[in-house]
Amino acid sequence: MAGDPYAALGLTKSASDAEIKKAYRRIAKTDHPDLNPDPAAAERFKAASAAYDLLKDPEQRRRFDAGEIDEQGQERPQRRYYRDHAEAAGNPYAQGYGFDGDPDLSDVFADLFGRRGTGGFGQGGTRRDFHMRGQDYRFSLEVDFMTAARGGKARITLPEGGDLEVTIPKGVRDGQTIRLKGKGGAGMGQGGAGDAYLTISVAPHPEFRREGDDIFLTLPISLDEAVLGGKVAAPTVDGPVNLTIPKGASSGRRLRLRGRGINGGDQQVELKIVMPPKIDDDLATFIETWRRDHGYDPRAGMKVGG
Amino acid sequence: MTRFYSETEVVALIDELTPPRLQTYLRAHIVRPVPTPAGPGYREADLARLQLLCDLSDSYDLPEDTLRMVMSLIDQLNTARGDMRALMQAVAAEPDEVRIRIHHSVRHSRG
Repeated sequence: MAGDPYAALGLTKSASDAEIKKAYRRIAKTDHPDLNPDPAAAERFKAASAAYDLLKDPEQRRRFDAGEIDEQGQERPQRRYYRDHAEAAGNPYAQGYGFDGDPDLSDVFADLFGRRGTGGFGQGGTRRDFHMRGQDYRFSLEVDFMTAARGGKARITLPEGGDLEVTIPKGVRDGQTIRLKGKGGAGMGQGGAGDAYLTISVAPHPEFRREGDDIFLTLPISLDEAVLGGKVAAPTVDGPVNLTIPKGASSGRRLRLRGRGINGGDQQVELKIVMPPKIDDDLATFIETWRRDHGYDPRAGMKVGG
Repeated sequence: MTRFYSETEVVALIDELTPPRLQTYLRAHIVRPVPTPAGPGYREADLARLQLLCDLSDSYDLPEDTLRMVMSLIDQLNTARGDMRALMQAVAAEPDEVRIRIHHSVRHSRG
């Protein structure tokens, strides 16, 4: 305690012994740390309790008032607080507080904290059979683009050894998690097995690209196909499909194959005109002649000058 | 090794505790010392409990059965507080995802 012990009790030096006792009891009622969790209350109680220990003895009070001893009085043993023991693990007076009889929660409660007496005697008690659900497993699994698009099977190796065949659902997306119920670790007692969670990453494909359920593909076409139009075979995730190239199609033209994406999505085909590997004399001569009468400016529509 | 205090030591250590008062608490089974060959042995927890019992007796003039009931409530509360602390520490050590799930569940049932 530091400072004026009378002030700690809310009194002055002129207080009577009875007033001192009364003031201390009033503070003890409201601020006792075993009854009031507020740290400020604990400080008030500590100060009042030290003050009371000093002033309750009339001889000691007289000596303090006379300045013979300071407010520390004399060495006194550290005051004990029950709470320091009561909250601690293994407190012999630990008591259950109502979950033991709860039909839904008693098992969970006993698993966590064990069983306790519900008052009076008979502490400890026996632990019930231990039940715990098995551990969940988490895996990452990379699947190729086509397996993700069309669905299929994959195998994973389990932590306890052995492997597990997994069905990859059609159209699984990159980053999607698949839950395999009951494929996690074994449970204890009557606890069920845990689940396995597979996080799927989809490997990219050299030709196909996927956005949601739509598939994007760039399809090379020849110069003559671009000029004259015609039917060409376009690959899709479910195999080749005939695609009609309109007469005079430019590079970048987009064509839609309805329902040829994933799960009802579309496939978008972007055309790309590819020149023959070698421009022969026939083609060069023809184009020169053609240009004389049919020259056109494909950049006429551009917003910036060339 | 737990240190045990004798009855005489306990009465000497706690100012407010008198032998008749101690007998009252023992009769009401509010304090339960450990039987040893040398007589009842009091642990630190018993000493702290006796100090609180004296404080309660002095402040409130409680009859024996009321005191017993109050101590039972205090024990329940402190046990719950210790359990809650352990549970909170366990929750605090869990990843965000788990803490958020617990948060939602608790908010749902406790408003």
